Amino acid sequence: MTTHPANQQFDVIVVGAGPAGSAAALLVARAGLKVLLLERGEYPGAKNVSGAVFYGSAILNELIPNWWEQAPVERPVCRRDIAFMSPTTAVALDFRCAGAGFATAPYNGFTVLRPKFDRWLAAQAEAAGAFVLTSAVVDDVLRENGRIVGVRVRREQGEIYGKVVIACDGVNSFLAKKAGLQREFHPHELSLGVKEVLGLDPAIIQDRFHLTDNDGIAYEYLGAITEDVHGGAFLYTNRDSLSLGVIGQVSSLVERRKRPYELLERFKAHPAVAPLVRGGKLREYSAHLIPESGWAMKPKLYTDGMLVAGDAAGFCLAAGLYLEGMNYAMQSGLAAAETAILACQKGNFSARTLSVYQKNLKQRHVSTDFRAYRHAPSFVNGPRLQNLYPEMVAQGMEQIFRVDGAPKRKILPLAYRMVRQSSIKPGQLLRDVYQVARAYLW
Amino acid sequence: MRIAVCLKYVPDPSTIEVDPLTGMIDIGRVLYMMNPADESALELALRLRPPDGTVTVFSVGPIEADRLLQDALAAGADAALRVWDDALGSLKPIVTTTLLAAALRVKALPDLVLCGGHSVDRGSGTVPALLAEHLDWPVVTDVTQFEIQSGRLRARRRLARGARAESEVTLPAILGLETGLVHLRQASLPNLMRVKYTPIPLYGLEELGLSPQDLHFPAMTLHEVMPPRPRARMMFTPDVGGSVQERVAQIMSAGVAGKAGKILESGTPEQQADAIIAFLCQRGFLEQPT
Amino acid sequence: MVMTTHEEKMRTVRFRVGATPHIVVNSEICRNECSVHACVYVCPANLFVPLDDGGILFNYEQCFECGTCYIACNQEGAIRWSYPDGGYGVTFRES
Repeated sequence: MTTHPANQQFDVIVVGAGPAGSAAALLVARAGLKVLLLERGEYPGAKNVSGAVFYGSAILNELIPNWWEQAPVERPVCRRDIAFMSPTTAVALDFRCAGAGFATAPYNGFTVLRPKFDRWLAAQAEAAGAFVLTSAVVDDVLRENGRIVGVRVRREQGEIYGKVVIACDGVNSFLAKKAGLQREFHPHELSLGVKEVLGLDPAIIQDRFHLTDNDGIAYEYLGAITEDVHGGAFLYTNRDSLSLGVIGQVSSLVERRKRPYELLERFKAHPAVAPLVRGGKLREYSAHLIPESGWAMKPKLYTDGMLVAGDAAGFCLAAGLYLEGMNYAMQSGLAAAETAILACQKGNFSARTLSVYQKNLKQRHVSTDFRAYRHAPSFVNGPRLQNLYPEMVAQGMEQIFRVDGAPKRKILPLAYRMVRQSSIKPGQLLRDVYQVARAYLW
Repeated sequence: MRIAVCLKYVPDPSTIEVDPLTGMIDIGRVLYMMNPADESALELALRLRPPDGTVTVFSVGPIEADRLLQDALAAGADAALRVWDDALGSLKPIVTTTLLAAALRVKALPDLVLCGGHSVDRGSGTVPALLAEHLDWPVVTDVTQFEIQSGRLRARRRLARGARAESEVTLPAILGLETGLVHLRQASLPNLMRVKYTPIPLYGLEELGLSPQDLHFPAMTLHEVMPPRPRARMMFTPDVGGSVQERVAQIMSAGVAGKAGKILESGTPEQQADAIIAFLCQRGFLEQPT
Repeated sequence: MVMTTHEEKMRTVRFRVGATPHIVVNSEICRNECSVHACVYVCPANLFVPLDDGGILFNYEQCFECGTCYIACNQEGAIRWSYPDGGYGVTFRES
């Protein structure tokens, strides 16, 4: 009681107790440094929404061995489906793996409920020695001689000082903007996700999704599912509930004047989805922005006295086959923590010292992944790949399977006819094929 | 002046949901908070506290209630005390107030006790009155405003159907405050950080000098629940000669004749109580004592 | 029930309402400079109400704090927003 924590200078101040912030605080605390983890919610996770599949099991396992035994996880994801939809049909690619690393330790990914998972992760940081303070919203950075030396919490005497600030304050990162590292976003760079958690008996989930024991499945949907809004949908199994939602590009929602929750209702009513969600009881509705443009909206990642990680840095890989954020958030948080620890050891917090962050991000495969897939988002999240082609595939399959006495067509002429009937020009199609190849193949 | 505030750790009513799978209240989804009326009470206590005064907060509740007391300390309360004992079963208001009274005595009785008038969970509204019975102090309930001048407390009360009343009592006294009078202030950052790991003193039965027998009260039986107004004796047709306002007023009163009250200005409290009982018997609310 | 109205959806969400609005809409701009009123459509909590005179009424109490309105708004300065005070606003329990 005699020492006033606010009077003390912290080595590191982490803003935002999501996966990036809590992982960063955990690592910094373990290095024996004084770290403050600030969270604006009533508890860590109170403001956080994801699908949510956490594909960072192996990463977290390095920090907390066998973490899944103590963490509030729902189901390990052992099946992944990618479905192409037309208004009445669906074609799915069904991946199953009961083998090592998916259904067994260290597992590939788990479905989680963020308010529970994030709260647990922050508690791990706290147990490691981090000072976790909730109900503390950060409004601005503090500067001295041009460098960032702390943050201002929106409370009386809210100035608090730290040698390094790590901004993990999410997609809307006010901090990155205040620090002059991030620009304002365009509506085409972000997507809005709306989501529901539907309660369902675990036995029904097992039967309905053909799951063994506690295994789980992740469905992702492309095509006509969001009508003409650029986007997709998902459905994940939790222990006794389903998480499902629709994602739509903000600019596209604006243009089409679509209300996101109405798209969600239509998604649940789709003939391929309705049987999966039947009998589900709504437990919570939520919404969140997703920094889908990845590399294109990456801020400047560091400046004198500050680093940016997680969604705040745009580290969310939304590129068709991939829909991953929490793992990159955690990796970037760890990379930022390693950088901050090094800076504290050197006693130098200049941008030059903190530039090691870039190397650390590369080592943790964050920047390399985002660089490799830098062409994917702008294209994949466009109308043709996300909506038109998947719908055409679904319609094509319908024609292939339909037996109505008409002569059977071979696939190539069928495809030719479909392309001609659509609005796509052959040149455009070729360019798209090239772009898909460039985005995913090499 | 020393002020005590009683705080209750309550479930947020908007988070109480029935799990459709089990048909039971889904405990995992319930979030807890400081009872809103108690929050007002605490803020008023902090505003009232003179420079040499103190505000001490009390709560009867499990370990989770520590967070609430820490919030109160962060907002500016001088001391906190939590009462709990694993031997405690369900917390009927009479048990809670027995514990609170004992806790208030342990800390040396204050000059003023502020309570929220009603909690959002049980909402019996009986705690201030029961506490007054334990301490043998005056109590004013449904308080919306009050001021203290030279040891006398003047309180404005909100009664049913828009009526207001003013009461005056001498300190020490207990007030039951209405919900939503004021918002609790935001704690400063240094205070918020200071209380984060502040241990809250815990008092069990032994520390309070109580035995389990002291908390044993005969079970109460609820016989009937009735709306607190007499039944209309007839279908009422408003007088067509009156103005619109008069007719609406007549319809609204549903033909119940005469709510005219009577102000008891003279007599000892005992005589006044007898007069009230006589009035209630006459109107048929009570049976004639035999 | 699988299919739910927007009202039913909102009933499942917990809000701790702060004393001051964290989002302020300058209706003057909505009236005079904006014909799109994108906020009315994109807000997942349906908090923007178009008025007869072309202005926009905003209810901050049930806000998800997602920022979509701010991103979607095509008029500089029409929507001013920050996060609610610490501990206030939406509290997700399961998402």
